[in-house]
Amino acid sequence: MNKKSRFQIATLLLSVMLVATACSSNNSSSTTTEPKSTNSSTANQTEDKKGSDEKVKLRIMTITTDENRNNIMEQFIKPNLAKEFPNLEVEFEPGGGGEDLANKIKTYNASGDMPDVFWSDAGFFTALNQAGNIMDLTDSITESGFINKFKVPEALKHIDGKIYSLNSGADTYFTPVIFYHKDIFEEAGVTVPQTFDEFLNVSKTLKGKGIVPVATPGKDGWGPQLYMLQQMIQIGDPQAMIDLVNNNIDFEHPSVVAGVERIEQMAKEGVFADGIANLDYGPAVEMFTSKKSAMLMMFTWELPNLAKIDTVDFFPFPSASEQYDSNKVVQFWGSPLNGYAVSSKTEHPEEALKLVEFLAMQDALYFESIGSAISLETGNAPGELEPLMKKYLTWYNGAEVMIPSLALNSVDSRTSAEIATYGARILTGEYPAADFIKQINQVWKENTWFEN
Amino acid sequence: MNKHFSTKMSITIFVTPALLIFTIFCVYPLLPQLWMSLHNHNGFQNLGFVGLDNYLSVIKTSSFWTAHKNTYLILAMSVLIGLPISMCFALFIDIQTTKLRRFFKTAAMFPAILSVVVISQIWVAFYEPNWGLFNSILRSIGLDSLTRSWLTDEKTVMMSIGLTFLWQYIGLNAILLYTGIKTIPKNYYEAALIDGANFFQISTRITIPLLQEVIKYVLIVSSLGSMAFYAHVRVMTAGGPGDLSRTVIYQMYYTAFDTSQFGKGTAIAVIFILQCLIISFLIQRFVAREKLEF
Repeated sequence: MNKKSRFQIATLLLSVMLVATACSSNNSSSTTTEPKSTNSSTANQTEDKKGSDEKVKLRIMTITTDENRNNIMEQFIKPNLAKEFPNLEVEFEPGGGGEDLANKIKTYNASGDMPDVFWSDAGFFTALNQAGNIMDLTDSITESGFINKFKVPEALKHIDGKIYSLNSGADTYFTPVIFYHKDIFEEAGVTVPQTFDEFLNVSKTLKGKGIVPVATPGKDGWGPQLYMLQQMIQIGDPQAMIDLVNNNIDFEHPSVVAGVERIEQMAKEGVFADGIANLDYGPAVEMFTSKKSAMLMMFTWELPNLAKIDTVDFFPFPSASEQYDSNKVVQFWGSPLNGYAVSSKTEHPEEALKLVEFLAMQDALYFESIGSAISLETGNAPGELEPLMKKYLTWYNGAEVMIPSLALNSVDSRTSAEIATYGARILTGEYPAADFIKQINQVWKENTWFEN
Repeated sequence: MNKHFSTKMSITIFVTPALLIFTIFCVYPLLPQLWMSLHNHNGFQNLGFVGLDNYLSVIKTSSFWTAHKNTYLILAMSVLIGLPISMCFALFIDIQTTKLRRFFKTAAMFPAILSVVVISQIWVAFYEPNWGLFNSILRSIGLDSLTRSWLTDEKTVMMSIGLTFLWQYIGLNAILLYTGIKTIPKNYYEAALIDGANFFQISTRITIPLLQEVIKYVLIVSSLGSMAFYAHVRVMTAGGPGDLSRTVIYQMYYTAFDTSQFGKGTAIAVIFILQCLIISFLIQRFVAREKLEF
């Protein structure tokens, strides 16, 4: 071996070592968070004083899906946090919502850089739990007594009996309804429909008068994925919907097929705004509030905002069969897995646990301030409810059959994403319900949700 | 001196730093992807080795082929429509007066310097079916029958997104080509004019042949840019309606992140990388093969 060859081999080895060194992980350095002193410049402080002034640094990834969430952050969390936790230095990261939030959490999880506190979601809970990255809060909130502030503590528990996240309980009161403008209905000479066929006729009349009948977010399959599929099934056969949520039937069940066909029928008969399959959340709500559409299919989390418009009222999804009574059956949105959670890898579990209680309470204070119903008691005297909220709560509390949301309680992330994908296609009116059933039923068979 | 620099040892010394950087930042990140593509990974944990199952599974899905059809449609639009228009625009700029040239150069660059999100949102508004620009124009000239929901119609969605992409980058490519035109010696043109050549003859016999190195560069950048087409789709349609406007990159993202099938997502990524390498090789092999000196 001559000198040149030896030099070349040595260079190659050096290169490999450098690559290996540069790319190897260093767990200790990536996860250590150095406490930060805020008063390091004060010369006369004693050592003890310095120690007590050290701030604990925490990272929070919050849900930032809509105006409510932004208001909670700006009007409640940020102003109250400094007063409540002077020893904390908190770095907020907006997480978006839905798939965006899930993807960020997945990325952080993969890089071993999970936020200390984050908004957990049923969509990615299972995988997060399997990886041992979400903390069981049961003992902590029992010891602190925070659990006693919930009207129904049992509702916080996952099917394994543990509590993984905290929220205001407002979710439980969210259900999809159809908001409408009373004045537009009057001018068009139509009344609130009681049956699905009447609903189609009302839409036809409105469309004939040049009014867009219904707006709802359809982009990325938002509507079909989160409420429409379930509503269209349960207005025909509530029991079939309960069975589907519990995995007792599949998508080939006649009542499920009929539900999907109702979506196709609405799309084909022009119930929705043109381009519904690409209509985003904000524009859909704006289309309704600016009276470009007569109705809005939406969850009641928008009720406090929409109640500010005098002409707005709501009605439940109309019945498609005698098996469904719109005054007795509702779909509810909540999931015990949606809420503020703590990473099991956090270096400051004590502070993080206190923080999730604080965050859940700020949510409750906000929803209470806008007149929403909540299950986390704030200690404040109940305020006077808006008439529309009163009407809503009377209807909602009178329901005898409460069906959990399919989107939050029965599907893994793949099934959820595929329902969204093909649900959006049905909204175009060019995709047959039969194709949807065929596609989704295959995915449903491979749904891993019920394996855990 | 030259003798020293052409020895194997000196070549090794000079090449090593670049090779190292390339290895660390370009080759090494691919290895975990390759490894992951052979495993069942849900984004949170590895659920076991599955061999080539991920590859076999992804190629069996209709969305995978829809994504390929869309990606190659964008590539074709970019290369067969975009590049010729950019070339025409570059030639057009070259024959303008100084003042107009300055205006056209600024105008051409403007869309390219704007954020993709801004551009996409503007075009979403243009395509809006109820009050958007295109349908409004069609209605105002009595062509109501041609109005449609551009971004939800299966027949028009991909072309509509592709048009936005072309609009954004045609100007930038034109500027690159124009810069190349300015490097061609003027005496070639003077000789051609003395011989009585017209604009078309000058363009096809002198300008375009002498621009082949620049054309090659623009072709590679446009092709790989088209292959990696994602952001416009994300903003304008989120791949929808359904999977109808997904590209390969979008399908990879959707599979990995939205459905938590990271093994399958990385399998798509590996297939995609191979395609990009093949396209780069073909362009290198067949475009501008002879080195021109002028």
